[in-house]
Amino acid sequence: MFRYYLDLAWRRCRQGPSMVLLLVLTMAIGIASCMTALTIFGALSGEPLPGISPYLHVVTMDARQAVDANNNDYDKPDAYLNLTDAKALVDAQRARQQVALAQSYTLVGRPDGKQSDQVQGLLAHGPLLAMLGVPLRHGRPWTAEEQAAQAPVVVIDSELAQKLFGTEDAVGRSVSLGSGSFRVVGVSAPWKPRTQFLDVQRNQGNVLGQPEQFFVPAQAALAAGVGPLTAGECGKGAAVVSFQSAEVDKCRWLEVWVALDTPATVAAYDRFVAGYADAQHAAGRFVYPPQVALYGVPSWMSMNHVVPDDVGLNLALAGAFLLLCLVNVAGLLAARFLRRQADVTIRRALGASRRDVFAQHLVETGVLGLIGGALALPLTWLGLWIVRMQPVAYADAAHFSVSAFAALLLLSLVVGLVVGILPAWRVCRQPPAMQIKLG
Amino acid sequence: MELRPILSTLRRHKLTATLLVLQAALTCAIVCNVVFMIANRLQRISVPTGIAESELSVIPSASIEEGENPQARHAADLAALRGVRGVQSAVAVSYSLPLDRSESSSGICPSKQALDRAMQLNTIEGSGCMQPAVYDGTPGLVGTLGLHLVAGRDFRPEDYVSQGKPAVAIVSRALAQHLYPGKQALGQSMYDGDNYIRIVGIVDRFLRPNLRSPGVDEDSMIWPQLPPGSGVLYVLRTAPGDRARVLQEGSAELLKLNANRLISAARTQTYEEIRAAYFQRDTTMIGLLLASALGLLFVTALGITGLANFWVQQRTRSIGIRRAIGATRGDILRYFQTENFLIVGVGIALGMLLAFLLNAELMQHYELARLPLFYLPMGALVLWGLGQLAVLGPALRAAAVPPVVATRST
Repeated sequence: MFRYYLDLAWRRCRQGPSMVLLLVLTMAIGIASCMTALTIFGALSGEPLPGISPYLHVVTMDARQAVDANNNDYDKPDAYLNLTDAKALVDAQRARQQVALAQSYTLVGRPDGKQSDQVQGLLAHGPLLAMLGVPLRHGRPWTAEEQAAQAPVVVIDSELAQKLFGTEDAVGRSVSLGSGSFRVVGVSAPWKPRTQFLDVQRNQGNVLGQPEQFFVPAQAALAAGVGPLTAGECGKGAAVVSFQSAEVDKCRWLEVWVALDTPATVAAYDRFVAGYADAQHAAGRFVYPPQVALYGVPSWMSMNHVVPDDVGLNLALAGAFLLLCLVNVAGLLAARFLRRQADVTIRRALGASRRDVFAQHLVETGVLGLIGGALALPLTWLGLWIVRMQPVAYADAAHFSVSAFAALLLLSLVVGLVVGILPAWRVCRQPPAMQIKLG
Repeated sequence: MELRPILSTLRRHKLTATLLVLQAALTCAIVCNVVFMIANRLQRISVPTGIAESELSVIPSASIEEGENPQARHAADLAALRGVRGVQSAVAVSYSLPLDRSESSSGICPSKQALDRAMQLNTIEGSGCMQPAVYDGTPGLVGTLGLHLVAGRDFRPEDYVSQGKPAVAIVSRALAQHLYPGKQALGQSMYDGDNYIRIVGIVDRFLRPNLRSPGVDEDSMIWPQLPPGSGVLYVLRTAPGDRARVLQEGSAELLKLNANRLISAARTQTYEEIRAAYFQRDTTMIGLLLASALGLLFVTALGITGLANFWVQQRTRSIGIRRAIGATRGDILRYFQTENFLIVGVGIALGMLLAFLLNAELMQHYELARLPLFYLPMGALVLWGLGQLAVLGPALRAAAVPPVVATRST
């Protein structure tokens, strides 16, 4: 029966080709605009580190150590802690894994000065590579002993190794970092989160994760004069804020990230941090009530508006556009079906039930929907290409994927069926006798 | 025009007529809001900065020379830059220009009492204190940027400090009014928590590096502080046609003077490029909004034409009969036009309601104001016009149906 309906649908399509073209084109445009927006939205709203970031939480508290009444930029506790507090939390080892980190951007070179590159990397205190799942190609991460001894060791990524030394395996070589010479203990594969979630304060305007090309223990880096990208939140009387300064002892500049697996461990860790912060407040170090809060990656990202509002707005617009296309197509289909009342009458008179008529028309609109989907494929590709041409921060996210293709096919089928429901229902309600009279 | 036959026909095509009404309503609601968003963004990107935008260019330079006096370096660099042909004047600022995002701001109060009030309230809200953007720079900043001094004077050489805070400042007219509403701001002493700073000049308008909200976007002050760091932005004023050449020759000149510095080629640019970069997202969004508004209208027009075509075909025989019993071509034409006017009219009425609901929804999620009422009659006119345009072809075809059709059977 299904094949017969398909055959009928095909015959009918050939009868009014210009109308069919209008129908499928309208659906195709609606589907393509929706798919374009969905692809970008999907790329930006997934997990930044698949399998890892769902467990990550960032610690926030009001850790200001001086009265700061004249500052309306401060509206709620942020994630920056000074080195003392960050180290205390990380060294307490109360979560499954924990690390304090800050974004840096500095010159890394060969000791002989022949090659150097200004690259982005992370200063960290704790097992950064293991916790974030940064894959190592050669060597090993730094050890707790090296970190405690402030040994000048560094992990660089294979691209930087290639650029500096002409070979990926740079383990054992030295690089100059600030005023120091750091031994390369590991070489990582090129690594970046899918979307930016670490140190968003210093990565404003970046929606997509940026490649991190070196990883270095924070204290060893500071000792060599390498600091975070910006100094962070510094108290009054601190040095004038300047980029890449290592004079951050009066500043809050590190984020503490912890890996916690269950709501119970989150609650327990929250209690631990609150206890720590309250003790600091009681001792007079923190002058304000600490208001400790842990944030998971998704809420942290949305709180910091990492993904611009425009992306959601685009999706809403595209959805509205698709809706309008659907109403449009439904209207045209209704008119088209009702014009063929005579055919229906004969089928009804010959014994077809309402259900049969309904099904037949739904098959027809389903087929039209799929044709629309097929046409939407090149249109979506075109839409994504146009987005990639735009100088927006998320342009690189606009790539067609296999899952997007599957979603497109599904969407077009759903679209075809949804637009058909009303007209098909309307046409199958016609009493046969009435139809015969009309015919 | 007799409405009854139209209404009774529509009653027989309830589903299609309803869908058409719905389509007009959705289009009206969405297009009104989209056009409103476009207007908002256009207004945002056309905000004036108060500086001579078309005549300015910048070269960022960060010296990496060890143990160097930054201010001596800047003075030497500026002397070299002023020697480049076409450069009318040049100054150094640390990072900040309007709309270049790197903002330094400072809490500042009209008096010490106001600061005490702010401390008591634990917020500067309602205390009279403000949070202006602070600009520094080498002597000649006001003239080079082309700021319009409306009261007081420019800085004198003795005003400049290289360390610590200066004792005087020039403020924007907006900041002057916000700090001292209804009073003469010139000569007043502002308090920043440690020092008093006297207002010696007021400039007409000077936008912040980062926009916050329209009320405070022009709250800025300049103080005569020489850029303290080794990294600075050299701002060059030239004739618009000289900019590209001066940027190139200026960078070369700086490197010739001392090669031990970083000059970011990407950030060596005209001021207009800085401005365009700041509003990049808005301009992209305007394009997208415009495209979707046009797309919506186009699809709606297609739908109206398509349906009207169907109806004309379906009713060919009855049109013939009407012609045969005396209706003129004009009657038939007006019949279809009136029918469309009615359908779109009902759609518009529904659409206005929807437009407000949609606007309320958007206000919750995005920074959007309430839809002004005048958008509604404009939206109505646009949709009615579109409907008439879309139905014209089919209506003309209907009017061309000869009366003889009535005698044929379908």
